Amino acid sequence: MSSVTVDYLPIFIQFCVAIGFVVFVMLVTHLIGPKRSSKVKDASFECGIEAKGNARTPFSVKYFLTAILFVLFDVEVIFMYPWAVNFKGFGWFGFVEMTLFLGLLLIGFLYIVKKGALEWEE
Amino acid sequence: MGSSIFYFLGFVSIFTALMVILSKSPINSVLYLVITFFSIAAQFVLLNAGFLAAVLVIVYAGAIMVLFLFVVMLLNLNKEYEPHKHIYIKFAGGIAGGILLVTLIGALHGSGEIADSTLNGEASYAASTGTIQNLGKSLFSDYLLPFEISSVLFLAAMVGAVFLGKKEKSSPKVSAEKI
Amino acid sequence: MTEQYFSGLRIELFLTMLILALLVGKVLAIKQNPIGTLTLISVFLISSIGISFMQNESGYLFGTMFRTNSTILFEKAILLAGTFIVFMLGFEWMKKQKHFLEFCMLLLSTLLGMCFMISSGNFLMFFLGLELATIPLAALASFDLDEKKSSEAGMKLILSSAFASAILLFGISFIYGTTGSVSFDTIASAIDGNNVQKFGFICILTGFAFKISAVPFHFWTADVYEGAPVAITSYLSVVSKGAAIFVLMPVLYHAFGRMSSTYIPALILLSTVTIITGNLFALRQKSMKRFLAFSTVTQAGYLLLGITGNNTEAGASVVYFMLIYIFSNLGAFTVVSILQNRTGRDDIGVYKGLYKTNPTLSMVLLLALFSLAGIPPAAGFFGKLFLLSSAAGAGYYVAVIIASVNMVVSLYYYLNIVKMMFVDEPEITIEKLKPAVTEQISLFICCCGILVIGFIPAIYEYIYNLSAAI
Repeated sequence: MSSVTVDYLPIFIQFCVAIGFVVFVMLVTHLIGPKRSSKVKDASFECGIEAKGNARTPFSVKYFLTAILFVLFDVEVIFMYPWAVNFKGFGWFGFVEMTLFLGLLLIGFLYIVKKGALEWEE
Repeated sequence: MGSSIFYFLGFVSIFTALMVILSKSPINSVLYLVITFFSIAAQFVLLNAGFLAAVLVIVYAGAIMVLFLFVVMLLNLNKEYEPHKHIYIKFAGGIAGGILLVTLIGALHGSGEIADSTLNGEASYAASTGTIQNLGKSLFSDYLLPFEISSVLFLAAMVGAVFLGKKEKSSPKVSAEKI
Repeated sequence: MTEQYFSGLRIELFLTMLILALLVGKVLAIKQNPIGTLTLISVFLISSIGISFMQNESGYLFGTMFRTNSTILFEKAILLAGTFIVFMLGFEWMKKQKHFLEFCMLLLSTLLGMCFMISSGNFLMFFLGLELATIPLAALASFDLDEKKSSEAGMKLILSSAFASAILLFGISFIYGTTGSVSFDTIASAIDGNNVQKFGFICILTGFAFKISAVPFHFWTADVYEGAPVAITSYLSVVSKGAAIFVLMPVLYHAFGRMSSTYIPALILLSTVTIITGNLFALRQKSMKRFLAFSTVTQAGYLLLGITGNNTEAGASVVYFMLIYIFSNLGAFTVVSILQNRTGRDDIGVYKGLYKTNPTLSMVLLLALFSLAGIPPAAGFFGKLFLLSSAAGAGYYVAVIIASVNMVVSLYYYLNIVKMMFVDEPEITIEKLKPAVTEQISLFICCCGILVIGFIPAIYEYIYNLSAAI
C-alpha cells in the first residue's frame, strides 16, 4: 500500500522468525528426542500430591475486580501516549486538559484505595 | 501485494471469529478471539494506524482477554453444567442469523460505487492520518469533550465495580447506622 | 469565548461538580448523614432546573460535539425533575443502604450521561453519553447485594444493553462508512438512503428500540423492573426512557431527515406492535412492578407513534407527553415504593381494599393510573390526545385507530386496580401507613403535576414555541 506500511516489515520479519523458531525447536525435539512412556510418567504432576477433582473450580471474584480496575487504568494510560507525543505542541492548554482527566481518575483511585479494593487479606 | 495481505488477514479474522463461536471449549474460544484481535490489529497497520493496532493488542488481546479468561473460570463451566439448548432455539437462531446475513449481502450488493463516490478512493486518504501525532492532535482539540467525559465514565465504572465486587465484612444492618 | 462554554455546559458542569463533591466527601471520610447528602443533592438538582430556564443561545460547542437550544434545556429540566422525584420517593429505602453515597453518585452519573446524550451533535458523543447512562445503571439495578433477583436484574440489564449497544454501533459503522462522518449535520447532507444506509439505520433503530423497550425488543424490561430496587425501576421507566426518546427525535428528524420514507413505516409498525403486545401482557400481570413495566412498554408505543408526525407539533407533543408521564408514572411508583417498603410485597393482592385503610395513597394511585390510562380530568389524557393528533395530522389514521382501540383496552386493567382498591375486601390487613416527609413531597409534586399540567394550556404552547424557535 503506502510507504509507511513498509516500516513494519522488520516487525513482520521478527514475528515470523519468532514463530518459526518456536515451531522449529518443537518439531526437532519431537523428532529426535527419545520417547519412553509409562503410567507414572504420564500422570499429571501436582507437587507430588496425587491430582484429584476438577481443575475448573470457581475462584474468588477478587481477581476479577483487580483485573477490571487494571483494564480501566490501562485504557487511561493509553490516552497519555498521544498526549505525550504532542506535549510541546499543546502547551499549557494540553496540560490543563490532561490534569483534569487525571484529576478525575485520581479521585477514583483514592476511592479505590480507601475502600480497600486492592487489599488482598480481609 | 497489499490487497493479498488484506485478503489473507480478512480470511484469518473471519475464520477465527467463526471458530470463537463454533469451538466447544470456552478456553479455545477465548484463544481464537485473541488471534482475531491480532489479525484485526494487522489490518489497522495496513491502514497506517499503527497506534490503534498497538492499542488493540495491548487492551483487547492483552487486558480484556484476561478478563474473559477470568469470566470463564468464574462460571464453573464443567461438562455436567453445560446448558442443554433446545433444537428449536438452534433453528430459530439459525434462521434469524441467516436472514440477517442475506439482508446484509443484499444491502452491500452493488455498494462498490457508493464507496468510490463518497470516499473518492485512495486520493483523499492522507498517509499520515493514523499516526500518533495526528491522532493526539485531533483527540485533544476536536474530540476534547468526549475525552473528558470518558474520564467520568471510568470514574463511574470504577465506583460501580468496587461496590459490586468488594464484599465488606460488617453486616449491612450494623453499618447502615454508621453512614 | 470561555463564557459561552460555561453557559452552554452549565447543567453538565453542575452535575459533574456534584458527583465529584460526593466522591471527594467519601474519600476524605467527611462525616455524612444521609439527610445532609439528600439536601445537597436536592439543592443542586433544583438549582440546575432553575438555571436551565435561564437565557441561552442555541448553537454548537466543541465543533459539532455538543448541541444546545431551549428545547434541549427544557428536556434536561424534565429529566432533572424526574431524578429529583426519584430521590424523594426512594430515600426511605436508600438511607438504609450502606452504599448510599455510591448510589447517589452512580445515579447522578447516569443523569450526566443522559444530559450529554440528548445534547449530542454526533454519533460519537451520543454513544459515549449512552454508555455513561447505561453502565452505572447496571450496577444500580443490582444494588441490593443480598437479593438474588436484584443481581439477576443487573445482569440482564447489562447483557441486553451491551447487545443493543453492539447493534447500534454496527449500524453507526455502516452510516459512517457510507457518509464518511459521524456528525449529524454531515450525515444529514450526505445521506441518500441507499440500501447500505437503510441497513445501518435499521440497526440503529433496533438499538434505540432496546433502550426504550419497544416490542419485540422488550424482553429484558419486566424482569429487570421486577428485580431492581423500586427507585431504580422508576428511574429506568421514566428518566432513562425519556432520554432515549428525546435523543431519538433529533437523530430521526435531523440526521436521517432524508430517509423519512424508510423510518416512518418502521416506526409505525414498531409502535402498533408495541402498544398491542404491551397491553396484552399488562392484562395478566400479578406483580405491580411487572404490571407497571408493561404499562411503560405500552406508553413507549404511544410515544413512538407521536414521533411519526415528523414536524414541530410532533416534537412538542412528545416532550409534553414526557412531562406528564414523569409525574404520572412516578406518582404510581411512589405508592408502590411505600407499600413495598412497609409490607415487603408487590403483588396486586396488596392493593385490595387499600382505600379503607389508606385513603390518601389510594387517591394518589387513582390519579396516577387515570393519567396513565388517559382519562380526561388527568393530564395524561391531553398528552395522549396531542400524540395521536400529531400522528393523525400526518395521515396515519390506521395506526391512530389501533392506538385508540388499545387505549380503551388499557382502561380495563388500569381500572381493574382502581376497582381492587376501592371495592374489594382487603386480602391482608395493612395498618394506616404514614409516608415519610420525602415521600410526601414526591406524592405532592406528582399530584400537582398531574392536575395542573392538564389544565394550563400555556404549558403546551410554551413547549410548542420552544420547538418552533429552532
